[in-house]
Amino acid sequence: MKRSRRTRHAVLWLVALGALAVTLFPFYWMLNTSLKPAAEVFASPPTFVSAHWSLDAYAAVLANRPVARYFLNSLVVAVGATAISIVLAALAAYGVTRFFPRGALPFVLFLLFTKMLPETLLIIPYFQLMSDLSLLNTYWALILAYSSFALPFSVWMLIGFFRSIPLELDEAAHIDGASVLQTFFRVILPLARPGLVAVALFTFLIAWNSYVWALVLTTDSSMFVLSVGIANMVGEYRVQWNELMAAAVMAALPVMALYALLERHLVEAITAGAVKG
Amino acid sequence: MQVRPFLRMLASIAALGAASAFAQQPIVLQWQTANLTESQYEPIWKKTIAEFEAANPGIRVEPVLVARKDHWTKFVAASQAKKAPCIVSVDLTTAAYNGYLMPLDKYWNAEPASWRHAWSDDMLKASRWKGQLYGLPIWGGTYAEIYNRDLLTKAGLDPANPPKTIDEYMRWSKKLSGADHWATAVLGGRTDTTTRVLLTWIWANGGEAFNADMTEATFAKDPKSLAAIRMYLGMAREGLAAPAPTTTNYLEQTNLYAQGKIATMRNAYWAIAKVVGDNPAMKGKSVVGPIPANVPNAPTLATVTASSISSSCANPDAAWKFIKFDAEKKWAIERARVANWMPLRNDLADDPAIKADPLLEQFVRIGQNARSYPLPHPLWADIAANDIVDAVQKALLAPEKTEAIFRDLDTRLTKKLRDI
Amino acid sequence: MARAAARSHFRRRRHGYLFVAPVLLFLAAVIVVPLGWAFWTSLHRIRGIRVSFVGLANYGQMLADDAFWHSLGVSLAFTGASVALHLGLGLALALLLNELRFARTALRIAFLTPWMVAPAVGATIWLWLLEPQFGVVNWLLQAAHVVSSPVAWLGEPATALASVIVVDVWRGVPFVMLLMLAGLQTIPAEQYEAAAMDGAGAWQRFRFVTWPNLRYLTVVATTLDIINTIRHYDIIGVMTGGGPAGGTEVLPVLLYNLAFRSNRFGEASATGVLLLVLVLAFAVVYVKLAKLDRAGGG
Repeated sequence: MKRSRRTRHAVLWLVALGALAVTLFPFYWMLNTSLKPAAEVFASPPTFVSAHWSLDAYAAVLANRPVARYFLNSLVVAVGATAISIVLAALAAYGVTRFFPRGALPFVLFLLFTKMLPETLLIIPYFQLMSDLSLLNTYWALILAYSSFALPFSVWMLIGFFRSIPLELDEAAHIDGASVLQTFFRVILPLARPGLVAVALFTFLIAWNSYVWALVLTTDSSMFVLSVGIANMVGEYRVQWNELMAAAVMAALPVMALYALLERHLVEAITAGAVKG
Repeated sequence: MQVRPFLRMLASIAALGAASAFAQQPIVLQWQTANLTESQYEPIWKKTIAEFEAANPGIRVEPVLVARKDHWTKFVAASQAKKAPCIVSVDLTTAAYNGYLMPLDKYWNAEPASWRHAWSDDMLKASRWKGQLYGLPIWGGTYAEIYNRDLLTKAGLDPANPPKTIDEYMRWSKKLSGADHWATAVLGGRTDTTTRVLLTWIWANGGEAFNADMTEATFAKDPKSLAAIRMYLGMAREGLAAPAPTTTNYLEQTNLYAQGKIATMRNAYWAIAKVVGDNPAMKGKSVVGPIPANVPNAPTLATVTASSISSSCANPDAAWKFIKFDAEKKWAIERARVANWMPLRNDLADDPAIKADPLLEQFVRIGQNARSYPLPHPLWADIAANDIVDAVQKALLAPEKTEAIFRDLDTRLTKKLRDI
Repeated sequence: MARAAARSHFRRRRHGYLFVAPVLLFLAAVIVVPLGWAFWTSLHRIRGIRVSFVGLANYGQMLADDAFWHSLGVSLAFTGASVALHLGLGLALALLLNELRFARTALRIAFLTPWMVAPAVGATIWLWLLEPQFGVVNWLLQAAHVVSSPVAWLGEPATALASVIVVDVWRGVPFVMLLMLAGLQTIPAEQYEAAAMDGAGAWQRFRFVTWPNLRYLTVVATTLDIINTIRHYDIIGVMTGGGPAGGTEVLPVLLYNLAFRSNRFGEASATGVLLLVLVLAFAVVYVKLAKLDRAGGG
């Protein structure tokens, strides 16, 4: 009995490692390429480990491009979008679950509808809108765009989450004399923390990784975000693969670190929001 | 969850946004061309801007850096919102037809004749649309056949006598191909470079792809054109060209050449600079010959890049100043020397810097019998990068249907050419 | 008494509107306004800055165009294969991870990484991996004697479509896995114990305990995934641009090409609206299934 369980365990681990290899191989290759000298990138057969590994490509990228500035821009935009997302989504989810217990469907459908729009359809009119509002080349244009992408799913997830917080708590606070806003901020919101963290992670990811919108909405290179900065390294006439991969690694690390830290909350929130929603 | 830190954060973000929006300069000219992100050009344009700003206090030039493949997208989005950069280099006819560019005649005519003579009428024709001038030609590239001297010698061929006819070229190709190396690469990727090379083959065989006033496509209708297409695309099937032609663009072609996987490439002078940049061992290893042709005096193809002023530019006078500055001899020579971009001024042939470069001299000579590219039709950007490429890809995937595919292309293009 | 209750009810509703208003207004301004403009554009013929009203002609033109229907076919094939694989592999991975207790968090984060990287960046990496002459995938396959000569993955329509599906699966499985994992962890242990006591084997436990509990979640995940995949642009845009010969030209790519390569904004907007209608159709199915499942006792 024990042996079959052990073999079963071993087989499962084998499968898991195989899947892991396929999942992580591209990242390994990205890292490998970023550490190689330019001449070795095209070597045939390709080298998996190299005696010539160095951080030269990283140094070159940092020296030739204002990567710190790109980082800062990405950070400001991502944090801004996250802030707006959290605030608006929390307010909306609270409103829906507390005041429209049965009438949520039309609202959810509207959210779903906004999520269904093909992005490329909206690029030019959005550019026009931002231009008319004189918001081109500002952080606001991107913050507003990314918040709007992230909101539908965020609200939907939070609705499920808030539903799992019993209404009795509201009523208890009300009896104690708290106003609606006070109930929201002091009683309910702290309980919703995992959900808010999930929304934050989700929005941050969207804002950090998005490319086409930043491309169109910023022309001043001091306003470029990381994804645009990286794409600019691909000239049709020349691609420095090792530098490109170095930049990609630098762009991916913050998100991975953030997720590693907060992953627990993500699962908790999705459990509450998506499963029971 | 506390409210105050939130609001503080929001406020500081708003302040940051406002600050960047309010930063202003006296006159700011935005300059966008796809080449600003090419690493060999960077030192030159930085110097150009620095010297221009020093000579013109009160005008600032702000380069707009964008990846080549997104250059047109960004320009179009900005133009539709009437906020395009002042100075741009784009597909001139298409942009002019769409109303994105400002006619330059008033500036051009105000210049002294001695200055204007540096540009030939032919060159200017490429920058005109409906009789008006929309751009000042700055640099270009002539297409010729580039050979790897070492690989030729290894195959027993004489680098000093490159093939003059297509048949000779085919004979050479057979000798230059083997199990894991090929004579050349057939370009079938999704950029207009595919169309450029195809046109050189058609013209080299004495064929025509379009009629004189570009109202009809004759890729299959003209028998010489169809024969040329078959010869060229057939190289892929016969193992004379590198595999995967449908994903081969300039980048892949020059990579293959730099790594010694192909012995020849049909390209412009700048390809040599790119190859040496990729693989320094290739320095001095390339020889140039005219495009092998089956008819005498077959023209080659010469791209023309012009600087234009967008129709939404608020400071066209300042923009013209910069364009003139950039077109000066000194920068033309720099671009030729460092980035291998051919100058389009006709008063540089005797310049010692040009004469000191034998390859450049050869390209200049070959370029004396060339047709300018892009072809002058407002839908050219669309046709060259989409319809023609589609046909080439389909023909590469189903060679037995080549004639039918290009007849279909003719019909479709003829309809499109008239729909403006 | 009744009037007091009615008054308090009214007050509650009004508060509710205030809470929900910010999101509604925000989305209305940032999404609905541009959408209206896009609708308006689809009714016009636009050549640069010259605009003329043509009513539904653009729609007629697109629906009569072979390229549109071909694109629709590719979209359905791509979405179908991708979503099926997302779900199958996502569920399988979730079941696997649920069983393994050792290094669970590390494993979860590791499997989640493809989702964290920008699709455009991931596609670029894969582009490099699949390069015919210099890419490592071909080298590995040749070294393992699976193929005899380098395969031009993106050079032929069939292999190109397969390649972009593989990359999309690589990108999309983590999120589905996460959803399924969350779902698995809410299944009460007593149900498994009861099944074990009845002598149920592994497959029967899956069929009678796991699957019924996950059904609602699967419907939700599938619909969200279909909606996301059918409008996805980045991966195919970066890897093939719709080529070769239109073999991977899904509707969002067709839209992008029409707008930014051919500069036919009217036709592009019409395509976008048609794509929207298609997605709406799936959403309606979602609502029906969600209602059904909820009523069925999910």
